[in-house]
Amino acid sequence: MSEQTGKQLSKEEKDARFEAELLPVLDPLYNFAYRLTLDEDDANDLVQETYLKAYRFFDYFEQGTNAKAWLFRILKNSFINEFRKKSKQPAKVDYSEVEGYYNSEDVEGESGVASTTDMRTESVQDLIGDEVASALNALPVDFRTVIILCDLEGFTYEEMAKILDIPIGTVRSRLHRARNSLKEKLEKYAKSMGYNN
Amino acid sequence: MEAKYTEEVYPKAPDDARTADCEQISNLLDLMIDGEASPEEQRFFNHHIEECISCFENHQKQKLLKGLVTGHLKRVIVPQSLVHSIKAKIQETL
Repeated sequence: MSEQTGKQLSKEEKDARFEAELLPVLDPLYNFAYRLTLDEDDANDLVQETYLKAYRFFDYFEQGTNAKAWLFRILKNSFINEFRKKSKQPAKVDYSEVEGYYNSEDVEGESGVASTTDMRTESVQDLIGDEVASALNALPVDFRTVIILCDLEGFTYEEMAKILDIPIGTVRSRLHRARNSLKEKLEKYAKSMGYNN
Repeated sequence: MEAKYTEEVYPKAPDDARTADCEQISNLLDLMIDGEASPEEQRFFNHHIEECISCFENHQKQKLLKGLVTGHLKRVIVPQSLVHSIKAKIQETL
């Protein structure tokens, strides 16, 4: 139903639409690339490659349809087809290392009598974020992907099925297993910190 | 230190505490927290957790887990040079 079907866009039209419709997705797209590759340079390369492909195939993009899902799909395919081979393996997270870091923070906090509650609250927020990131990064990339698409980017199951090229039933079961795995990692960490619930 | 894939990670609740409904509820947990459940599924779910404390707690835990990712995972900042690089790359490969 797109107006431009069968008709070539002029370069100016194409550039203007590319900028208006696709570039606003840069932030989520870069975040997705970073969570997949776990490396800033790799994320940069992957995003550039994605936009280059999107520009080349822009005539196939139907105006008014979901630009974000379309770009995520291109990025995910680029990651699988070309990038995964050359990118570094995701770093395995050593919980004892993280724990040591927290403990040393605690010691400092207690010796510094004047540490404000604001600072404490803020750093606790940071610690939770860091811990969630570590647990997430330690998941297999397929699990990490569905959690990011669903919980961070808010895609629907149907959109995820299109981005990942899998049936909705598979989206559901993969998400379920991914969450169980994430839960297990976070619970293990919580126990190591002395929280039992 | 990979987690072993055992059949049961968590101890099972006593059999009499787990009804067929609870089984269905656990299959609906993700749909509920992701806003993907149909109106009938929502009704069934909400009615059940009003009466079943164990399913109510599972629902709270699952919401908490999603909230940890949604609310606490930090977004990375896009390098300022990236937009420029993208545009430059497009122009040079035309």
